[in-house]
Amino acid sequence: MSDVAPMDFEARVRAALAPVDPPPTLADRLEARLASLTETAIEELDALEISAMRDPRNWVRPVIAAAVAATAGAGLLVLRLRSRGTRRPRLRLPGR
Amino acid sequence: MDKAQLDAAFSELYRTHLRDVYSYAYYRVGNHHDAEDLTEQTFLQAYRHFERATAESDGRPLRPWLIRIAHNLAANLYRDRARRPQSSLEETEPTRPARTIHTTEDLVEGRDELARILEGVTRLPDERREALIMRFALGMDNREIARALGKTDGATKVLIHRAIKQLEEMVAA
Repeated sequence: MSDVAPMDFEARVRAALAPVDPPPTLADRLEARLASLTETAIEELDALEISAMRDPRNWVRPVIAAAVAATAGAGLLVLRLRSRGTRRPRLRLPGR
Repeated sequence: MDKAQLDAAFSELYRTHLRDVYSYAYYRVGNHHDAEDLTEQTFLQAYRHFERATAESDGRPLRPWLIRIAHNLAANLYRDRARRPQSSLEETEPTRPARTIHTTEDLVEGRDELARILEGVTRLPDERREALIMRFALGMDNREIARALGKTDGATKVLIHRAIKQLEEMVAA
């Protein structure tokens, strides 16, 4: 058995498992991935021929693509605006 | 909730819990490279299902849902690679020393103990390891951990108690 008191041991576990800050490049990459979702949806819209739009059966995909583009675009905009307004914490990663 | 509100809520979730997800991922997979991938995939998946999760959360915090996504993705990662977590955690220094340590000798001894604790965490059964990561690295309470693991509050309390006891025995051995 350990001679360390339970509460003391829990404090040491907490110290050992300290939160790890993510690298700034990760946030940039995440935002880029969200942007790529937007671009995919926009390309989907561009690829559709106007003539095909005369058939109501072809309206479903562009509506979905437009909705995805609007959602991802707005989300990305909010993320980028907020990231400009707030300074990200600096890295304190072990082994880096 | 309209689209603009959803987007604002998602960006708030992202900003608030990026470090939680990354910490969970790092201690779960044991290296920074996989932790970054896991964090990225977690938020992309969360983004896709955010509207439904918000509707079903009934106002409860979404952190357990987020961590559960990371938990499932990590399980898939190991299933695909058919391997255990890498052991690079044991080669890393703790990110901060215990606050009560003052002298150089105590500092070295304290770091040794923290390294032993980290090494012990990697040897715990998966569920016990995850519960400890959520409790101590993320500061989640029993209810949050229970939701993330899909367990009852009572079962989670027992799980954490046994995990701490097993870890303490490992470190003392």
